[in-house]
Amino acid sequence: MSTAAIDKKQAWGGGQSPFQLSYGKIMMWFFLMSDAFTFGAFLISYGTTRFASVLWPDSNEVFASFPWFAPNGGAPMAFVSLMTFILIISSVTMVLAVHAGHCNDKKQVIKWMLWTILGGIAFLSCQAWEWMHLFHHNGTLWGSFRNGEGAEVLPHLFNHSHIAALTAKEGAEFVTRESADAAHKFFNFFFSITGFHGAHVASGVVLNIIILLNTINGTYEKRGHYEMVEKVGLYWHFVDLVWVFVFTCFYLL
Amino acid sequence: MHFSDYESDQSRLYNAHHGDINSAESKSKVKNIWKITAYLTLITLIEVGIGLYSHYSHAEGGLKTAYNIIFILMTLLKAGLIVSIFMHLGDEVKSMIMMILIPLTLFIWFTIAFIADGAFWLWINQHVYTWSK
Repeated sequence: MSTAAIDKKQAWGGGQSPFQLSYGKIMMWFFLMSDAFTFGAFLISYGTTRFASVLWPDSNEVFASFPWFAPNGGAPMAFVSLMTFILIISSVTMVLAVHAGHCNDKKQVIKWMLWTILGGIAFLSCQAWEWMHLFHHNGTLWGSFRNGEGAEVLPHLFNHSHIAALTAKEGAEFVTRESADAAHKFFNFFFSITGFHGAHVASGVVLNIIILLNTINGTYEKRGHYEMVEKVGLYWHFVDLVWVFVFTCFYLL
Repeated sequence: MHFSDYESDQSRLYNAHHGDINSAESKSKVKNIWKITAYLTLITLIEVGIGLYSHYSHAEGGLKTAYNIIFILMTLLKAGLIVSIFMHLGDEVKSMIMMILIPLTLFIWFTIAFIADGAFWLWINQHVYTWSK
């Protein structure tokens, strides 16, 4: 087709794509929009609950462990920074795969797709470690801290000076009840949202493997273009994009 | 071009750049990708640095709010780089860019309305329903 710029009046007159994009790519964008609103709703409900709470767990206390180096805390932000870096790099290798696809270079597409899949698996492994660690270390999973259970770990999850100030003002019973309630909500949101994101990463890895196999089999070479790499690439970048927001909401703010 | 032409063959709408991967144009594009990678990494490192400084210096009140505003701005900057460069939205026609960006502005209302509701809920619990004490 002609790639010349479409006249604005003619663009919507029929007979051509006003967006100069294929159906599949536009639909991928629409899907990602709907998914963005789903993740947005999750994160905003997390924020709403946090604003409605007297206390909230301190991420620097909750997420302070690193395998081998600091298994019992003392290294806030370190592990999640590594996870974030892994996901950024796997996003970069994906762009390089898309770029190789633009150049119809099969070997390079295979190479960069392999790196992307590896990055995705590395991220999922990190997340599995983080979840397991939280469970073994604090006993936290969905529904933790109901009916006074696990109250002994609560002081380790909050900012110590906030707890001390509130205890002096409202009494120990109030602080124990409010911190249990806040930690209960915090971990429900944490496991739901990072779990939903992890499910996206996992399905992204599966899609990437399918694309890799198709590339190896020469499906796209025969078709004459690697647009499928680009479409799955959009999904993969979106997963990285969501993590950027999850990182900010759960670990920074 | 007739309607049925692209209806039947979607690949006609796929206008990729068919240059050689070792061409100068391709190399400059790859260089740009690595440049954006460096930016994303640098922004993340700055975020982590501020986060750790805020934690160890026990930042409270207005200072903590200022750090949070910086975090949100840096997050939006990272999101912008990923969407416009990595997802190539910046290379699409303007109407496509607007079709994606305009619905997302709903988030401005969405965030403010719900966060304000949460804050009001806390206020009413502390000032009206004093049974919680």
